[in-house]
Amino acid sequence: MSNINGKVYAMNAITPMKPWKTWILRGFFFLLGHIKPLQQDLINLSFIEFARWVVLPRRQFPFLGNGQAEEELQYDYLLFFSNFNGTWNQYIDAFSAVLSKGLNLVWRWSEKFPGSVPVTSFKEYIARVQFDTDYYYTAYPHAAANDLKSAHVVQASFDKLAASAQNYTPEQFEDAYLRFVLEVQTHLGETGEAPIVF
Amino acid sequence: MPNKNGSVYGLTILSPIIDDEKVTPSHDLQIRKYLATLPTGELSPFALAPATHLARLVVMDDVIYVGMPACEEHLKSKYLVFESNCDGELDDYLAGLAASVPEQLDAIWSHCVGYPGAANRQAFIDYMKACQLETTFYFAAVNDKSVPETLRALQTQHAVSEFIADHQGMEPARLQAEFMQFVAELKLAPVPRPGSMGEPRYIKTGGRNE
Amino acid sequence: MSRLNETDIQGFVLRGYNLPVARYLFLHFEDAERARSLIGRLLHHVTTGQRWDGGKPQSTVNIAFTQRGLAALNLPDATLLSFPVEFQQGMKKRAGILGDSGLNSPERWDELWRGDLVHAWLGINAQSAAILDSRYAEMLELMRETGGATVLASQDAAAVVIDGKSTTREHFGFTDGFGNPDYLGVDRSSQPGQGKRMPNGSWAPLATGELLLGYADEAGELPVAPVPHILASNGTFMVYRKLHQNVATFRSYLDEYAALYGGGKEKLAAKFIGRWRDGTPLDLSPDNPDSSIAQDPNRSTNFTYGADAEGTRCPVGAHIRRVHPRDAFGFSGRLINRRRITRRGLPYGPFVAEGGPASDSEERGVIFMALNASISRQFEFVQQQWIEYGNDAHQGNDKDILMGNHGGRGKFVVQGDASRANPPLICSKLPNFVELRGGDYFFLPSITALGMIAMNLVDPR
Repeated sequence: MSNINGKVYAMNAITPMKPWKTWILRGFFFLLGHIKPLQQDLINLSFIEFARWVVLPRRQFPFLGNGQAEEELQYDYLLFFSNFNGTWNQYIDAFSAVLSKGLNLVWRWSEKFPGSVPVTSFKEYIARVQFDTDYYYTAYPHAAANDLKSAHVVQASFDKLAASAQNYTPEQFEDAYLRFVLEVQTHLGETGEAPIVF
Repeated sequence: MPNKNGSVYGLTILSPIIDDEKVTPSHDLQIRKYLATLPTGELSPFALAPATHLARLVVMDDVIYVGMPACEEHLKSKYLVFESNCDGELDDYLAGLAASVPEQLDAIWSHCVGYPGAANRQAFIDYMKACQLETTFYFAAVNDKSVPETLRALQTQHAVSEFIADHQGMEPARLQAEFMQFVAELKLAPVPRPGSMGEPRYIKTGGRNE
Repeated sequence: MSRLNETDIQGFVLRGYNLPVARYLFLHFEDAERARSLIGRLLHHVTTGQRWDGGKPQSTVNIAFTQRGLAALNLPDATLLSFPVEFQQGMKKRAGILGDSGLNSPERWDELWRGDLVHAWLGINAQSAAILDSRYAEMLELMRETGGATVLASQDAAAVVIDGKSTTREHFGFTDGFGNPDYLGVDRSSQPGQGKRMPNGSWAPLATGELLLGYADEAGELPVAPVPHILASNGTFMVYRKLHQNVATFRSYLDEYAALYGGGKEKLAAKFIGRWRDGTPLDLSPDNPDSSIAQDPNRSTNFTYGADAEGTRCPVGAHIRRVHPRDAFGFSGRLINRRRITRRGLPYGPFVAEGGPASDSEERGVIFMALNASISRQFEFVQQQWIEYGNDAHQGNDKDILMGNHGGRGKFVVQGDASRANPPLICSKLPNFVELRGGDYFFLPSITALGMIAMNLVDPR
């Protein structure tokens, strides 16, 4: 059992919400999906590969019959799954430092949520509602989200030069090659092992 | 649709685990035990089957009590959570899993209520969809690249970095010839295998240090 | 913010003494009672943070303890166990986290640090070697009289002297000591660029609790601290690292790549660090060193990287940009405000001028001492994530060029533009320019806490 595979960490969290509040949260997520600046913050944080929130109403837990007992719950639940790079502390510190308002809008509807600032009580809450991952797979354990984005930039630039290299005179190639190097020069970080988690 | 972001699909499945007092160890513990030794690298079922970027399997024992004044409540079933970030349409993805790694799927999900087995492709897909939850908000850092495209790009990035480092100060005609040679070699190189820690360095990039 | 009680805080925490010579003694306590009596006697010698308006002292004395040292002084277990985990473990056990492997691994450290005997650091700074010697003799006498401690080893350090003048250069030839942050209540006036970046583009001092325990920090709370609070308040944690510098390797590597680089050797040297050797920031003067900038406190640290995202002036991986990214990570710098450290310390070993006969094997380097409220959140984070790893800087696994434990496999990209004088360059097969020779984590208590320790009056609650 591990929450970690290479450069990614799998976080799972579940928090109870009074059902009437679920609708407010749904409204917020609807807006988040439609307002670019908020999404932009998540993109700029640059260490989340994939993340999702799933609102699970109390009567909509999968029920398949076959002797399965039907759930009888008072709360709706908010599930959160994140695939992030870096350490647990770094992740929550960054969330608290730069996304506190957005996070509060997501989690303030959950019972006992202390707010995302100050960070220590926020961390205690996350630690309490987190449950651990049994099995975690990534197709590219040696790469972080930033590495993926950089690799795609290099590939696009490389494909462009590769397609036309043979048509150039050596002098034209020299110019084109320099432009290529300038396009990729901030995207050449090595991929590899992640540092030890602490 | 919140389950998708660009061309990436965010699949969330909660499969109720069979609760049978007569079985020891219990079904949830059997799932945990199997998952604990399931390979996570190149031999992972998700590496053997197509189209998974990242995926996780989690036994969710119960909901979590956050303390007074909240109410304490408990689930009647334990659930197996399957969270996957994958390429393409859901039916194709599930069919790809069932076709590539049916034994592993059966070993995991046979502990779940109503699981029909992977051999019956359509029943498998229907079962998974019956357990699916609609994602409310889905974020993807890169949402327009497939798994093979990504693995290829990571390979190219590394090779390009070495090529540039090894060809600094070379006169243009030779540089051009070496670059075209490099392009040809890179084109022939197999796409790195998913789930691996990067590739052995089989592409010679030439240049002054080699 | 509450006003700082400067008489309760060790002076070493509040200011760089700017005294040219120092001797750091490493003490071992054999008997708790005698050690406490030594600390009681030392209390009268310890330099506090009181302002030196009446003139600078001739010498200073400060003291800090390892976890083993506090245990040897018989602090209650409940107190010892309330210290942060990394302090309890000590630096050697954190080697994996810190990337202290290979050439930097503990088995290659100086003998002093391979063992577990160091209980305390006693730092003496002085105006001259003669004054240092006499203060040192005084300290030895105190130890002899009380029988409180033995000196396991001592480390001399001194400002590099060039043409008879004390300088702030380090052995690679760069002017050092620009980077310390300003803290609320600690600094009389703040210098532009030294605190935190505000959304309106101005600079403000960091919260006091980033440096001192017992005050609010940048997260809007009191830093994690041991109990009782009075033991912790006005104290801080210190990281001590003896960093050997491979001067010959640095010079020959620079020569090798300068031959491939159209911008010239001195520009390449500046690209490594982010400052020209005289200290001029590349971001303010990318083409030439400019002493009028380097020597003007209103300009020497007053810059950001937002307009240089491509690194064509200051490379994205340049040392000062890696360890103090300013606004480089966006969010107007808010991601870095809880990762700042305050550096003290001096070079050690003889300086060899450019062109002089330098070898890697001579004892030469810098004593790196960092002060921070949380070793794990501040120093360890910077060391692991920004020096030994590059993801936050969008540099993948590339390490900091200057400090990185490269082992011959490192890479550094000098971003350039299409001009002849500023071409791109990849420096590969990076060796270790700096090697770790040992060190540990210390707690630097307040004067009140020293008194409590001396009198054996620490209650866990």
